[in-house]
Amino acid sequence: MSSRLLALIPLAVAINVAIGRIVAELSLPVYLDAVGTILVSALAGLGAGIATGLISQVFAAFVSGYVWLAFAPIQVLIALLAYFAARQGGFRNFGASIVWGCLLGVAGGALSAFISYLAFKGVTAGGVTFLTTVLVGAGIDLPWAVALSSLVTDVIDKALTFALVGVALRSLPVRMISRYPLALRALGR
Amino acid sequence: MTAPGPASPGLARRAHPLTGLSTAIAVTVLAFLVPPPWGPLLLYGASGVLVAICGVGRAIRQGVIVCLPLWVFLFLLHGLMGGGPTRSLGPLTLSADGTIAALVQAGRFGAIITASLGFYHAFDPSRFLNAVAARGWPMHVSYLFVATLHALPAFLDRAGASIEAQRTRGLRYRGGAWARARAVVPLALPLILGALAEVDERAHALEMRAVAVGGKRTPLDPPADTLADRTIRWSLLLLVLLALVGRLTSWPM
Amino acid sequence: MADVTFDGVSFRYAASTIDVLDGVSLEFRAGEITWLFGPLGAGCTTLLLVAAGLAPRHTGGTLVGAVSLLGRDPQATGSARFGQIGFVTATPELQLSGIAATVWEEVAFTPANLGWPIERIRSAADRALRLLGIEHLAHRSPRTLSGGELQRTVIASMAVLQPKVWLLDEPASSLDQSGRIRTYELFRAEADAGAIVILASEDADALSTVADRVIVLNDGRPVLDGAPGVVLAGDAIWDRGPGSTSIAGLARAAGRLVESPLLAAPYPVTVAEGLVRWR
Repeated sequence: MSSRLLALIPLAVAINVAIGRIVAELSLPVYLDAVGTILVSALAGLGAGIATGLISQVFAAFVSGYVWLAFAPIQVLIALLAYFAARQGGFRNFGASIVWGCLLGVAGGALSAFISYLAFKGVTAGGVTFLTTVLVGAGIDLPWAVALSSLVTDVIDKALTFALVGVALRSLPVRMISRYPLALRALGR
Repeated sequence: MTAPGPASPGLARRAHPLTGLSTAIAVTVLAFLVPPPWGPLLLYGASGVLVAICGVGRAIRQGVIVCLPLWVFLFLLHGLMGGGPTRSLGPLTLSADGTIAALVQAGRFGAIITASLGFYHAFDPSRFLNAVAARGWPMHVSYLFVATLHALPAFLDRAGASIEAQRTRGLRYRGGAWARARAVVPLALPLILGALAEVDERAHALEMRAVAVGGKRTPLDPPADTLADRTIRWSLLLLVLLALVGRLTSWPM
Repeated sequence: MADVTFDGVSFRYAASTIDVLDGVSLEFRAGEITWLFGPLGAGCTTLLLVAAGLAPRHTGGTLVGAVSLLGRDPQATGSARFGQIGFVTATPELQLSGIAATVWEEVAFTPANLGWPIERIRSAADRALRLLGIEHLAHRSPRTLSGGELQRTVIASMAVLQPKVWLLDEPASSLDQSGRIRTYELFRAEADAGAIVILASEDADALSTVADRVIVLNDGRPVLDGAPGVVLAGDAIWDRGPGSTSIAGLARAAGRLVESPLLAAPYPVTVAEGLVRWR
């Protein structure tokens, strides 16, 4: 692994955590805790993105319980789709970012629902599980309630995350972004 | 976030770092292998006793704080709103199967999170790095994890400073959801751009300090891997294998 | 034979249309402190990055010409150059390992990465701490250090290697006056012991007496090259460079107000020279 990635990845993981905290401070019903992972995937490619995502998940598990390692496949999926979006110029403008974010939200939400139901009986974190509980209370079966709540929250969350990463990439000075050829492609240049 | 502590007294401090990690991982795996309904609950109790003995008893209280919302939702979703035959408990009508499933899952959460937090509080980044270097493990993975651990407090301070700085510039982040959502970009963007601006210089420094050289890194002060440590780790492996065999052959799903 | 050579070197960063280094041909010898001096954007930092092999390999960009460092191409991969170069920049907090719990571990970080035996690491790290006068900080966390202490720790982290080549970009910027003097004395001692010291800095007042040679860069090209006492004393440093020392600047400015041979070029470069001339 290159020195650049050894310098970039810890900062990207820290971005994941810090922006998650900012969002919590703002009391918003989203997480935005994959900004760093998506950013690294768009800048430095799939391997670096996966490494960032997995380190983030390991870190989250380290401070809150190894049970959350079950969501490690989600990190791989995020990195994969973010990398694919970058190759397709998915961050070239706000609209494209939102579309790709929604796509990731659907895929991520589906996988998240599967893991959540299988390993956690539908009970994971506050926001999603609260929505699940409301849906079950409204008469929807648990598996469908888990799926619906995961999809809704993930689509909103990932659309906003992609939008934020797109803004960040488009704000980078030319000299900085030229160090990352994939990022130029992500911006459609 | 309280930092992991090398200052934890007792067994946690004396044990080899990989023994603590193995224990936490073993509890995580066992939580899904031990026979329900009582297995996970007993394992939770055992985790609590273990972390107390090892001198990281604060993991018990913190574990309860982390688990509490999860337990509440388990009770609501499975106990109160679960299907199948019901039982009355005072004014409440509970699903029998759902309540048992909730208890099993609650025990799993409790056991795993308590053991994980116990390791967290016993974790000494320096000892851990030296331990894995002594074993010849590739440095990069452990470097990334420990570097993140070190980078995070300063980064979170920067996030806090960013919020304060934007607030003094008139950024409003109280109010409706839309107003709060709009505040994300001016708060998050400086953090992201600032971090990326540092990458070059950090990378140059790491390059010149031979971080990407590869090869075996010299451990500076490797912790002793005693007979007791090795015995514990092998015993844990045996226990997990026995539980796996038991689960596959006879225990209820 | 020169130990660090640039032969017709031009360098341009990616996505840039301007050569930051333009046809640079220079030789740097062991036993000398060569001071790179120039206005912002002159190419001093880039020259150091190219010498270290960091540009263009890590920065991106296009390099034309040949660079040789201790007989090797610094662009080559592998560990040939490691353990031979001390590289220090102006922002010590960005040069830390990121994983050291104590100053001692920080200093021992690079030798440990190189797989040195532990006894050699211990003696080298202890020596480096003594050299920089920071033995008392050995057990402190790098996160608790002041800017000056951090800068000395970073220098110690390179000094532990006893490098043959020092590439320094404002290495004393975080230090107070006494710290700067002590740091430059350290590099003076390193050069006297046979190291090549290439130092980019705007600290003309201090380096005028420490450096053996000053190379003034402007628009990526060396425009002046010689002993500091000569280069800094003329008008050319003002016309083609960033200016000279405070005393020379004072003399030059005063000479524009009052016509006097005492205030004409060659200007005194140091306070001592000024006192001798104006007594």
